[in-house]
Amino acid sequence: MKTDCAAIESLLGAWLDGELDRPDVERVGTHVQGCPSCLKTKERLEQLQASLKDVLGAEAARLPFDPFWNGVSRRILEKRAWHTPIREWWASTLYPQRLAWAIPMVIVFLLGVLSLEQFFPGWRWGSSPGNAAAVDSIDGHGLNVAVFRESKTKTTVIWLFENQEDENESAEEAVSTDTSF
Amino acid sequence: MNPLRKPFRLTLLFSFWLLLAGGSLDAAEKGPQGVQLHIGTILASNESDEFDPKLSKMKNQLEVIKYRSYRLVKEASQKVPWNGNAVFEISGGRTLHVMPQEFRNNRISLKVRLQEGEKPLLDTTVRIRNRGNFLLGGPAHDGGVLILSISAMTQ
Repeated sequence: MKTDCAAIESLLGAWLDGELDRPDVERVGTHVQGCPSCLKTKERLEQLQASLKDVLGAEAARLPFDPFWNGVSRRILEKRAWHTPIREWWASTLYPQRLAWAIPMVIVFLLGVLSLEQFFPGWRWGSSPGNAAAVDSIDGHGLNVAVFRESKTKTTVIWLFENQEDENESAEEAVSTDTSF
Repeated sequence: MNPLRKPFRLTLLFSFWLLLAGGSLDAAEKGPQGVQLHIGTILASNESDEFDPKLSKMKNQLEVIKYRSYRLVKEASQKVPWNGNAVFEISGGRTLHVMPQEFRNNRISLKVRLQEGEKPLLDTTVRIRNRGNFLLGGPAHDGGVLILSISAMTQ
């Protein structure tokens, strides 16, 4: 029974405040009626609550409640300007704790910008969409070789004159019109 | 302890993690495992005015070479590890050897050798933009000349 009493006493406060479920209410009520110890505890709690209520009630009566309530009711009833919620949202966004999230946001943005080059090559502002290649070394093994760059897409062309007799005018013209050796 | 400081700590931790993740992403970008090579063999000639529609994206690149006709003869792709050698059979008994060497500043360095049988015709080292290409032309073939479009993309 001691275990029961301990469990019931822990529920007494909530029972008196009407915060328990129906089965617990019945269990505590039945137990208190049949247990003098718990009944005494319950009466003590009731006295304590009554004393607190008296003291707090007396204190509250001395406080000027009307000005407080008037202020609350005025704020409830006042018509807010359409931009007030936006202003409040903006102010709360600039609240230092929220502003702190700007740091990871900036990092995420920068990482995104840097990754774009991988998926969309040549997207960057101001960068040349050209396709220019750099020729570090070239050896035609005795054959004539020309390197030139096509003007529109800056594509590098390496032209091998495999057979001097086959050098046709077209290739010569190409090399001479747009050279970038 | 001020409970409002907790978000700050979380934010700082999250930022630190993001920086680490960004760093590893960047490192991964700098260390691609290999290169996808794509070789397009184009026959340019003056025998007709045909322009192969498959080459429409390369029209600007080819215009400068001043032939009347362009036809895509063959296309081939190979994935090659760094310093690996990819061999492509080119019309006319020629072979093209391409060896990707390094990737730096978004450019792929390629060592290229064109040979006819065992005889080397051309050796060159070219640095091209990632996903870019260059043209290698000149070898005579079938009444015209062959133009090779050599492109590379990191993997």
